[in-house]
Amino acid sequence: MENYLSTEFRRATPLFLEEARAKGRYRTAQRVFETLTPEQVVDEVKNSGLRGRGGAWFPTGIKWSFMPKEPLKGPSYLVINADEGEPGTFKDRQIMEKDPHLLLEGILIGSFAIRAETAFLYIRGEYKLAHDTLAQAIAELEAAGILGDAAFGTKRKMRIVLHRGAGAYICGEETALLNSLEGRRGEPRPKPPFPAVWGAFGRPTSVNNVETLANVPAILEKGAAWYKSAGTAQAPGHLLFGVSGAVERPGCFELPLGTTARELVERWAGGVKGGRRMKAFIPGGASTGFLPPDRLDVPMDPESLRKEGTMLGTGGIIVIPEGVEIVDAARVFSRFFRHETCGQCSPCREGSAWSDQVVGRFQRGEGRTEDFVLLDAIMRGSKQRTICVFPEAFAGPLGSAVKHFKDDLMAVSARRAAADAGSGAAAHGTASHG
Amino acid sequence: MAELTIDGRKVEVAAGTNLIEAARKLAIDIPYYCYHPALAPVGSCRMCQVEILDPGKPPRVAIACRTEATQGLNVSTTGKDCVAARAATLEFLLANHPLDCPICDKAGECDLQDFTYRHGHGAGRFSEPKREKLKHELIGDHILLDQERCILCTRCVRFMDEYAKSPSLVVAGRGDRNVIAIFPGEPIHSNYEGNLADICPVGALTLKEFRFKSRVWDLSSEESVCTGCDRGCSVLLETKRNRLLRVRPRVNLQVNGHFMCDQGRFGLLDAANPVAREELGWVKGARVTAAEAATALATTLAAERGRWLVLLSARLTGEELLLATAVLGPLAKQLAWVPTAASGGDDILFTGRRAPNEKALERLSVPALDEAAAAKVLAEPATAGLLCFDAALAARLLAQAKGKRLALVDVVRDFDPAAGKAPHGAELFVPGTLASEKDGTFLNVDAVLQRARRAQRWPQGTVAEAALLLQVAATASLSVAALTQKPDLTFALLEALGQPGMLLNQLPDDGVKLTPTAAAVSA
Repeated sequence: MENYLSTEFRRATPLFLEEARAKGRYRTAQRVFETLTPEQVVDEVKNSGLRGRGGAWFPTGIKWSFMPKEPLKGPSYLVINADEGEPGTFKDRQIMEKDPHLLLEGILIGSFAIRAETAFLYIRGEYKLAHDTLAQAIAELEAAGILGDAAFGTKRKMRIVLHRGAGAYICGEETALLNSLEGRRGEPRPKPPFPAVWGAFGRPTSVNNVETLANVPAILEKGAAWYKSAGTAQAPGHLLFGVSGAVERPGCFELPLGTTARELVERWAGGVKGGRRMKAFIPGGASTGFLPPDRLDVPMDPESLRKEGTMLGTGGIIVIPEGVEIVDAARVFSRFFRHETCGQCSPCREGSAWSDQVVGRFQRGEGRTEDFVLLDAIMRGSKQRTICVFPEAFAGPLGSAVKHFKDDLMAVSARRAAADAGSGAAAHGTASHG
Repeated sequence: MAELTIDGRKVEVAAGTNLIEAARKLAIDIPYYCYHPALAPVGSCRMCQVEILDPGKPPRVAIACRTEATQGLNVSTTGKDCVAARAATLEFLLANHPLDCPICDKAGECDLQDFTYRHGHGAGRFSEPKREKLKHELIGDHILLDQERCILCTRCVRFMDEYAKSPSLVVAGRGDRNVIAIFPGEPIHSNYEGNLADICPVGALTLKEFRFKSRVWDLSSEESVCTGCDRGCSVLLETKRNRLLRVRPRVNLQVNGHFMCDQGRFGLLDAANPVAREELGWVKGARVTAAEAATALATTLAAERGRWLVLLSARLTGEELLLATAVLGPLAKQLAWVPTAASGGDDILFTGRRAPNEKALERLSVPALDEAAAAKVLAEPATAGLLCFDAALAARLLAQAKGKRLALVDVVRDFDPAAGKAPHGAELFVPGTLASEKDGTFLNVDAVLQRARRAQRWPQGTVAEAALLLQVAATASLSVAALTQKPDLTFALLEALGQPGMLLNQLPDDGVKLTPTAAAVSA
C-alpha cells in the first residue's frame, strides 16, 4: 500500500487549497456530501476496521454509530482532539503543519457521518505554527464555499471552530478537553454519561484524534477492503510512528501497523546514536513505559504490545541508550506526570506526587527495598480507581522500571549512596541530584 | 422503585437513588468525603468505593455516589477489593495531611479521623517531606482556611456555586499543588458562609467564632429551632458550662434541608450569652429583683383592668402566647400584635421576617395591629399604658405616644441599672428569657410546628414569661385551669391551633406540619 498520510511531510511550506485540489483533495468529501448517507459513511469506516490513533484504539466507526440518528433534537458536534501532548509524540503536528487539508477533509467527512454541522478543533496551545496553518486553511475553505451555509453546494451547513488549549496534558483526555473547550477547569468528567450522550456544551459529541480523521478520506476514496490490505487483522492501515531519543535520524515514519520497533529504530531512524547500545525503549509515548531491548522484535500493534504488558499508545518510540540510567529517565516522567495530573481524584493526585518523591530518593541514592512494595501499593491503589486513566499513565514508566529494571534501580541507588559517602559530601550529592 | 441487595440484605429504593443513600436505608454506612446529599456528586474523593457483583464476572469496584440503584443490583461494601481501595484512598489522603488533630477544631467530628480509626491506619508509610501550603487564612467574614488540612473534596466550592448561589471559591493550581482559594482580593460574602465549616469533612474550613473555644466532645448539644426568622431552621445549640459556643443546622428536609443562614447562626450566638437577671428588675425608678418587678406588674394589671394596651411578640413560644392570650386577654384594654416587615430576605432560607412565631399569632387569632394603629390606641386618653414583650417595638411606639406608661418584658442586653433609668423609660421592667433558654414550640412560615429545646439554664432569680403570666392570673383571680388541667401546654396549643393530640415530648424531631386552617383553605 502506498503512503496516504505523509505524502506532503517533506514539503517546506504547507499544502494549501489550490495545490491540494489539484492533487485531488476534497473530491472524496464532495462525493460523500453529494451521494452518500451518513449510515453509508459509518458502515464503510466500520468495515475498514479503523481504530482511534489517539492512544485508546477504539474502533472509530463504532464510536460514530453511538451518535444520535435523525430526526435530531438539537446539534451534535464533532470535536477534534489535536491536543497532542504525550511525550514522544509528534505525528498530528506533522499533518497539521504540512498537510492541513488532509485533516480538514477528514473532519468534513467525519462531521457528515455523525450529522454534525459544527466541528470544534481543539489544538494544543504550544502548536502555534500548526494553529496558524489550520486557521489559514479553514479561511480558504470558507472563501471557497466548502465551509458555510451550503457545503459543497449541498443543503448542509458546515463550520469548523479552531480553539487553542492552554498547556495542560490532561486536556488531551477527551472529557477534560470538553470541559476546557467550554471554558471550565480541564478535569476529566465522570463517565457515564459518555460524550456521545453528554459531550460539548451538553450535546452529543464524538471526539476523534487528528490522525484518525486523516485516515478517513483514503478509506472513503479507496474502500474498506483496500484499507485492510495493510496492517494487522485487528488493527489495519498505516500508522505515523514517531522515533525520538538517542537515534541517528529521529522522525515520523508512515508504516503499516505491526512493523517491529527494531525495523523502525534500526532501518528508518538509523539506529542508536553514535553506535551505542540500547538500554531500553519506550514503545508508544511516555505512559507506555520502558521495554528492554530484547523486546525490539515485538510487532508494533495494540494486541502484540498488550501481550507484553504495555500498550501501543500513540506509537511514539523513545530510545534510551546505555549510559542513561533508568532511574533518571523514570524521574523525568514521574515529574512530568506529577506536574500534569489534574488532581481531582485523591489516589492520582497523591499517588503521582508520592511515587515521584520515592523515585527521587532512588535517584539520590536513598532507595530502600521496601520502596518496591510501596510503589506497588501506590499503583494498585490508583489504577482503575479514578475518573480517568491517568494513574495508568504514570504507572507506565514506574511499573515497567520496577518490572524490568528493579536490580538496576537498586544498584544505581547503592552506587550513588556510596559515591556520596566516599566523597564525604553527602549533602552536596543530595542537592545535585535534586 | 428498584429492589437491590447490599451486603446480602434486600432494600427497595426509588430507581436512580445512589448507592450511598440506598445503603443508608439499611443503616450500612459507606464512607465518603466529596459526596453530600445536597450537592451534585463529582465522584472524585474515591472514598465510597464498593463492589458490584455481576453473576459470572469478577467483582467490579465502583463509586457508590455515582452508581444508581437498579432492579436486581447486587452490591458488597465489605469485599476485599473495595476495602483495599478505600484503605488505599485513606493512605493517600493521610500522606500529606498535617495530623495536627490535637490543635484542630474538627477533631472529634472529623471524617478523616473517624474513617482512619475505622480502617485502622495506625502507622503511615509516607516518609517524604510533607507539602507546605497556606494556613489559617481568613477568607470571608467567618471562615478560616487551612490548605494543608484540606483533602480537596470540593464540597465548599460546590456549596458556594450550587446552594449559596454565590460562586466565590475555586480549585486553583494543578495536581498536588491544588488548593482551595478565593479569587484574589474577593473574600466570601454570603449569608450562608457558616455552613462551610459544617460541610468541610476535615478541619480545613473552621469558624472564626468557634476557633479554639472548645473540644467538640465537651459540648452539650440540644435540638432546637432558629428564631432568626420565620423559616425556623432546625438547629443544634451547643453549649459548654452554660455558654452557647456554636450553632449548627440540623437536617430537616421539610424545613431547611441541611443548612442555615448566617443571620440565624450568628444572631443566635450573639444574643445568647446570658446576663444575670436577678437584680435587673425595675419598678418606678428603682432597681429591684425580677421577682419584685413581676409582683408589681401583676398588681398593676389587676388593679388597672381594661386600661392597658398589650402587645405580644412573635419571639414568644406558642405555649407562652397561648397562656398570654388566656391571662392578658381579659385584663387588657386591647390584646394585639404588630406584624414585622420583611427586610433583607433571600430566596434560599432567610425570609427576612425576624418574627419566628408570627404564624402562631395568626392561627391563635390574636388581632394584628400595624404600628400606626397601635400608636393611636396607645395615645387614647383611656389607655393607661403599654405592656409590651418587644423592647424595640415599645421604643418606637413610645416615641409616638409620649408620656404614656410602659411595662416591658423582654431581654435588654445593654440595660445598665447604674444609669438610673429603665430601658426606654419603662415604669415596670421584668427581664425576659432568651430564645436559647426557652422550651416550647414555634410555628414556621410553612406551618411546621417545631420544638425549641432549652440549651441554657437561666440565671437564678429569673422570672420566666410563663411564670410571670401565671402570677398575673393568680393576682387578678383569673382561672387558667382550662389550660393548666391539660396534659401540657403544647397539647392545649395544638388544640387551639386545630390539630390536637400531641404532647411536647411527642413532637417528632423534624416537627409536625399542620394542616391548613379553614380560613387559609378558603383564601
